[in-house]
Amino acid sequence: MNVKKYVVPVATAVAATVFSASVALAACATDSLPASMEGPDGFPQRALTMIVPYGPAGGSGQVAQAMAQAVSDLTGVAINRDHKPGGSGTVGMTAFMATPPDGYTVLEHIDDASSAHALDSGRPNPAMDLIPLVISQITFSQIYIRTDEDRFTDWNSFVEWVKAQDGKATIANVSKEGSMERVTMKFITDATGMKIQQISFDKGAPRYGALAGGQVDALFEQPGDVRKFLDAGKFKPILTILKERPEAFADVPSLADAGLDFEPLFRFRGFYVHKDAPEERVEWLQWAFQKAFCEKSYQDYNESKFMNLIESFRDTEGARDLITATIEQYRAVYEEMGLEVK
Amino acid sequence: METFSNFIGGTIALFSDPIGILIFVGGVIGGMLFGAIPGVSMLTLAAILLPFTAHLSAEHGVMLFSVIYCTGVYGGAITAILFNIPGAPENAPTAFDGYPMTQKGQAGKAVGAAVMCSALGGTISAVIMMAATAPIADWAISAFGPPEIFALVFFGLAVAASVGAKTLWKGWLSILAGLLIAVVGLDPVGGIERYDFNMPYLLAGIHFIPTILGFFAVSEIFVQAEKKATGVYKAPKVSVDFPSLAELITHKFAVVRSIVIGFFCGILPGIGATLAAFMGYNEAVRWSKDRAQFGKGKLEGVISSETANNAATGAAMIPLLALGLPGGALTAMMVGVFQMHDMEPGPLVFINSPDLVWVVFAAMFFANASILVIGFLETKTIINLLRIPFQFLAPMILLLATVGAYAVRGLVIDVVVMFVAGVLGFFLRRSGYSVAGIVLGLILGKIGEQTFAQAMQMLHFEWSGFIDRPIALVLIISGLLTILGSIYGAFFKKHHSVDHAAGE
Repeated sequence: MNVKKYVVPVATAVAATVFSASVALAACATDSLPASMEGPDGFPQRALTMIVPYGPAGGSGQVAQAMAQAVSDLTGVAINRDHKPGGSGTVGMTAFMATPPDGYTVLEHIDDASSAHALDSGRPNPAMDLIPLVISQITFSQIYIRTDEDRFTDWNSFVEWVKAQDGKATIANVSKEGSMERVTMKFITDATGMKIQQISFDKGAPRYGALAGGQVDALFEQPGDVRKFLDAGKFKPILTILKERPEAFADVPSLADAGLDFEPLFRFRGFYVHKDAPEERVEWLQWAFQKAFCEKSYQDYNESKFMNLIESFRDTEGARDLITATIEQYRAVYEEMGLEVK
Repeated sequence: METFSNFIGGTIALFSDPIGILIFVGGVIGGMLFGAIPGVSMLTLAAILLPFTAHLSAEHGVMLFSVIYCTGVYGGAITAILFNIPGAPENAPTAFDGYPMTQKGQAGKAVGAAVMCSALGGTISAVIMMAATAPIADWAISAFGPPEIFALVFFGLAVAASVGAKTLWKGWLSILAGLLIAVVGLDPVGGIERYDFNMPYLLAGIHFIPTILGFFAVSEIFVQAEKKATGVYKAPKVSVDFPSLAELITHKFAVVRSIVIGFFCGILPGIGATLAAFMGYNEAVRWSKDRAQFGKGKLEGVISSETANNAATGAAMIPLLALGLPGGALTAMMVGVFQMHDMEPGPLVFINSPDLVWVVFAAMFFANASILVIGFLETKTIINLLRIPFQFLAPMILLLATVGAYAVRGLVIDVVVMFVAGVLGFFLRRSGYSVAGIVLGLILGKIGEQTFAQAMQMLHFEWSGFIDRPIALVLIISGLLTILGSIYGAFFKKHHSVDHAAGE
C-alpha cells in the first residue's frame, strides 16, 4: 500500500502545531474573548446536561468533568453529566440526537464519531449534523516498551527484533475495525515491512497491565494516558507518531526521524450542540466552552495529560476543518483497506 | 515488623485527626446504606462524591473511597438476603441461599453470617494487602494474561453448570443462554455489531444489573404474588437469631477457601468482586457433600459468597496502588481522586506518599472490622422491614428495582430488559432452569469472550499455545474434568440425581 496517498488536508488542519508548554500558557487561545457574556433572554435558566458516551473514569469522562467544572466556574451555570457508555460511543450519540434542540443539552465526543461517520455516512457527521462548540484536547500516539526490556531498546532495534519474530511479536492496542489505532498500525507495518500481532484491549488497565506484566512486547497509546508509567520509569516511548519531536519527548524519534512517511492521525475530544439549537444560545455556549478552555483549572488538567504538547484548541470553524479533514482521511484509508464504506 | 509499625503509624494518623474520623465514619455508613439499595449502589455514592473530593486532602479523599468500597460490598448483602434483591452484582450469589433462609425464618442468621464473614474476609484481605502489595501485584500481572483469565472463566462456567438447576442439561442450557445474551452488542475485540436488530441501544449489549434485578427481584415478586393470589402465601418469620460462633467454625474451610478465591480474583485487573463471589459460591457447592441443599437456604452459601466478595476488596487495591491498574469501576474512580490531587496511583505513590498509603491501609482494615459492629446494630433494625405486608412491600421493591435498572446507564431499554427477565425468570424457575446460571453466563461470558479472543491473538490462533502456559493448562484441565465428572454423575448415578430433582 502506498501510504503517501493519505497525505490529505489533515496536514493543514493540524500542521505546525507542535510547541512548548510555556508558549501555550503565555497566551491562551481564547484570551481575546470577552470575560463575560449575557445569555439571550436569560439563557440558561436551568442546569445544562452534558451527555458523555463513555464511563466516568476514562479519558472522556475526565475531560467532561474538567470542562463542566471550568464552564460552571466561569458562568455559574451547573452542568449535570449524564454518562451513557456503550457501542463505542453510539449509545450516547443516539441518546443525544433524541434530545430537544434547545441548547440545554450538549454532547462530549471523541474522534471515534468522525471515523464512525467515515465508515457509515448514516451516522451523524459531527461537523455538519452537530455544531462543535470547542475541541479542547488533541493528542498524538506513541509506541511504548518496558524500560527494563533487554531484547530491544529503541525503535530501530525494535523493528529488527519484530521482523526476526516472523509475526509472533505482539502489541497491545485498541484494534477495533477502522479505529485510529488500527489504521495507524497499518501505516506503520506497511511502511516498515514488519508483521506484528495486535492484541485488542478495550479498557486501559488490562492494556497497560499486559505490557507491565510482559504479556505483550509493546503498547500503542497516547502519552497522557500512560503518564504515571512514564513518570515512574516503568515504560519508555520509542516512537512518537508525529512529524516532528515535541519538546517533552525530545529524545524520542518522530515519524520523520524513523523514515515513516504518512500523515499521523490524532485523538481529539470536544463538545457539541444540536445544529437546530437557537442561534443566540449557540453563540453563548460557544463563548462559554471556548472561554472555559483557558480557565486555569482546565489548563492545569490538560497539562497533566500532556495535552499541551500540540495545539489542543479548536473553535467551531477550526473544529469543522479538523473533523472534515479527518473524515476524508479515514474514508480514503478505509477504501484502500477494502472495508465496506457506506 | 516494619509493616506493623507502618500500620500503627497509619492508625494513629487516622484516629488523631477529627476530620479524618468524621470522613471515615461517614464513608462506613454511606457505603452500607448505598450498598443496600439496589441500583443506587456504592458507585452512585462515589460518583456523587467524586467532585467534592477536590476539596478534601488526597489522604482523606482516597481513604473515603476505600472505606466506601469495603462497606458498600457488604451493604448489598442485606437486600439480597431479605428481599432477593442483590444491592450489587457481587451480592447476587448471596441471594441464592440467603433469601431461602429468610423464607424459612432464618433471616437473622443469614444476615449475621454475612456481617461476620464480610468483616472476616475483608479484614484478612486488608492484612495481606498491607504485608505484600508490591510482590503480589508484580506476580499477578506477569502470571495472569488473557489465556489464564479465559481458563479461569472456563473453569468457573464448568463448575457453575452443575449448580442450581434440576438436571445437568438444564444447568448447561442456563449457562449457554447467559452466554448467548452476552454476545448481544459490539464484539469486544473487533467492534463488530451483533444481534442489535438495528436498535442503537442494543449495541451497548444487555447489562447484567437489570438482568439480575429482573431474574431475582421481579420474578420473585411474581412468584410471591401468585402465592398470595392462590392463598398459599406465608409471610416470612422475622428472626434476629444470629449464627453462633460454633456454627461458623464448622464452616471454617468454606471461609478459608473463599478468602483465597476472593483475594485471588480481586488482584486480577478487570475481574474483581463479582467473579470472586460467584467463584466462592461455586467452589462451596463443588466441595460440599450436601450439594442438593444449596439454593434452598444453606448457611454455607451465604458464607462463601460474602467472604469472597469482601476478600476481593483489599486485593483490588493491590494492582491499583502498586501499578496504577484499577480492577473495577470503583477503583477506577479512585484513580480520579488521585488525579484531582495531581497524583497518580502506581509505584511512585509508595515512594512519594507513604503516609497516604498507610492511612488508607489502616482505614480499610478498620472499615472491614467496623462492619462487625455497625452491621450488627444495623441488622437488628433493618430486618424489621420484613414486617411490612407484602401488598405494600412488593410495589416498593418494584419501584426500587425499576429506578435501579434505569440508574445504571440512564437507558429505558434497561428497564424493559429487567421486566422481560422478570417474566422469563418466573417461568424458568418453575421449569427447573437456573436463573443464577443465566446471570453467571452473562457476566462471565463477556469477560470470557474478550479474554478468549485476546488469548487466541496472543497464541497466534493455535490452541496448542495453552499447553505452554501451565496455569491456563491446569485450569482448563480442571474445567474439563469437572464437566466429565458431572456427565458421569448424570449418566451413571441416575437415581442419585433423580433424588435431587425430587427434592426441588
